[in-house]
Amino acid sequence: MSNRVKKLLKSTVAMTAASCIFASSAWSAGQVNLLTWEGYADDSFVKQFEEESGCEVSATYVGSNDDFAPKLAAGGGVYDMISPSIDTTKIMIEAGFVEEIDTSKVPRFSEIYEKFSTADGINHDGKVYGVPFSWGSIPFMYRTDKISEADAPTSLKALWDPKYKGKISLWDDKSSLYVAARVMGTMNIYELNDTELDAAKAKLIEQKPLVRKYWSTAGELVDLYAGGEVWISNTWGGYQSNLLAEKNIPVKEFIPEEGAEGWMDSWMVVKGTANTECVYKFLNMAISEHGQCGMSNYNGYSSSNPVAAKKCMSPEQFTKLHQDDPDYLDSLLLWVNLGARLEHYTNAWNAVKSAN
Amino acid sequence: MRLQTRKRLAAIGVLSPPLLWALVFLFIPYLIMFTYSFYLKKFPTFEAAFQFGNYAQLLLDPQYYQVLLRTAKISIMVAIFSALLGYPFAYFLVFKIRSNRMRALLYMAVIVPLWVSYLLRAYTWKTILGSEGILNSFLVTTGILDKPTDIFLYNQFSMVLTLTYIYVPFIVMPAYASLEKIPRNLIEASKDLGVRPLRTFWSITLPLSTPGIAAGMTISFCLTFGDFIAPILVGGPDGFMIANVITAQFGAALNWPLGAALSIVMLVVVLTIISLSDRLQRSGKLEIA
Repeated sequence: MSNRVKKLLKSTVAMTAASCIFASSAWSAGQVNLLTWEGYADDSFVKQFEEESGCEVSATYVGSNDDFAPKLAAGGGVYDMISPSIDTTKIMIEAGFVEEIDTSKVPRFSEIYEKFSTADGINHDGKVYGVPFSWGSIPFMYRTDKISEADAPTSLKALWDPKYKGKISLWDDKSSLYVAARVMGTMNIYELNDTELDAAKAKLIEQKPLVRKYWSTAGELVDLYAGGEVWISNTWGGYQSNLLAEKNIPVKEFIPEEGAEGWMDSWMVVKGTANTECVYKFLNMAISEHGQCGMSNYNGYSSSNPVAAKKCMSPEQFTKLHQDDPDYLDSLLLWVNLGARLEHYTNAWNAVKSAN
Repeated sequence: MRLQTRKRLAAIGVLSPPLLWALVFLFIPYLIMFTYSFYLKKFPTFEAAFQFGNYAQLLLDPQYYQVLLRTAKISIMVAIFSALLGYPFAYFLVFKIRSNRMRALLYMAVIVPLWVSYLLRAYTWKTILGSEGILNSFLVTTGILDKPTDIFLYNQFSMVLTLTYIYVPFIVMPAYASLEKIPRNLIEASKDLGVRPLRTFWSITLPLSTPGIAAGMTISFCLTFGDFIAPILVGGPDGFMIANVITAQFGAALNWPLGAALSIVMLVVVLTIISLSDRLQRSGKLEIA
């Protein structure tokens, strides 16, 4: 090969390589890929963010907190951000799926409820790994046109009542065990020992003939109510009831005598993300007035940043979402990381579903 | 180049793409799965190891063989019902329809649903069988029932019904092929010898079409055995099947080793069924010769 040809070849290769690198960096700089809950990437507030920041947002939805780890364990660098609940955040940190968040780049982090920003679940070895976004409860819900006011359920026992046979649903999640434990009067639902877990399992197996279907996504529960299949179930407070109200299906949420679980979701950054710039833009948007009220208005969940919420919510909404009432949050059984016990919970729940 | 060498090279050229495909996309993944089945679950994920704990767990914890038995029961029911519907239809097409065009039309009518996504067809059954679905509305408006019933959807009945509907074409196709191949003079000879039609069917038609039925039933059994969509869409609390357990192990439980061990068990069951059916199909062929 002549020298000239060699040189030409070399420069062509270099140029091709350079243009590839350029193209890929230009492509990846302007986007953020979320692995999140339905409603956390809704156009009602994300569209404006996309226009202002130049960051294209794409989202994949999960149906349960147990879906985050498998998706990340499969690898591939597909996602930039995830939004697990407070019982799952620690696992993400310990498994090395997420990276530290530089709070100096998130100026309004200090405005977040201290109970959340200092929570053990998102702080590890003195570093911050999550930006609290939203919180709420797991209340129960029933159809008011099928269950009369006089009969209005107040206890979890209603979910074991044979008169609702075939009209009961529960979330396809380990939280079913929390429900079963509480109905039997066991309140330390996050520290169940093997005996208590077995009892909860047996209680759920006893309930199976009454259950129409275990719901796995928000959309599925809405369909089950709308199609007349289900009259009573647990729900993501504020979310499905709003969607059902739009469809003119009359439902009412209630906090049972046995108490309700509480949850708090945080945005976390997936380790090795190539889209750091957009990720931080998204984090800042999420806890601003735009993100907080965007989330609350669409989902019906409470906001993590009371300063922003105060500015963008009406006083009625602010009160309704318990933003001025920290005691309410304390009354909820806030989800906690189950640690190595998680395996026993998921195994018990699988055993319930497998049982005849 | 010598002719033999050239032939050999040509053979390699033709065969190597499919062989490579099988190696990369089938054998290596099976091997990886087999390796994983000996790994050890360790919170929060799992680590490489060589131990038989996962297989021991499958044997000791009743939840796994309960689900395996249920899956087998549902698969057998689907295979039998598909055959009971598909075989008479194929028989009717081959022996009773005189017009070729009519036969082609009816054959297509069975095959066409295969062009529609499985998901969509399963979903459609929901709108038919639901509490406020088409079937219930019909039964209530005609006065057969005074109020809608829950018994059609979200149970094993709706799963067997949906899966049978989906797998009937898989019986019709091979049954049709094997019935069509039966030499007509055998049946005519039987008739000439004064044998009644039913007897002719039992001693000639059915044995000679057994390979087709066996092939069809094997396909519908194996596909049902690995199905996880029907339990999600139309199954109820008692509809959890083995593929759902595997999904749960690879998903929520984050126990890939146990999921891999379950997959291996499933693979063994399916391969056993296939080799048994293969033997049956070959025995049918021998009778023709």
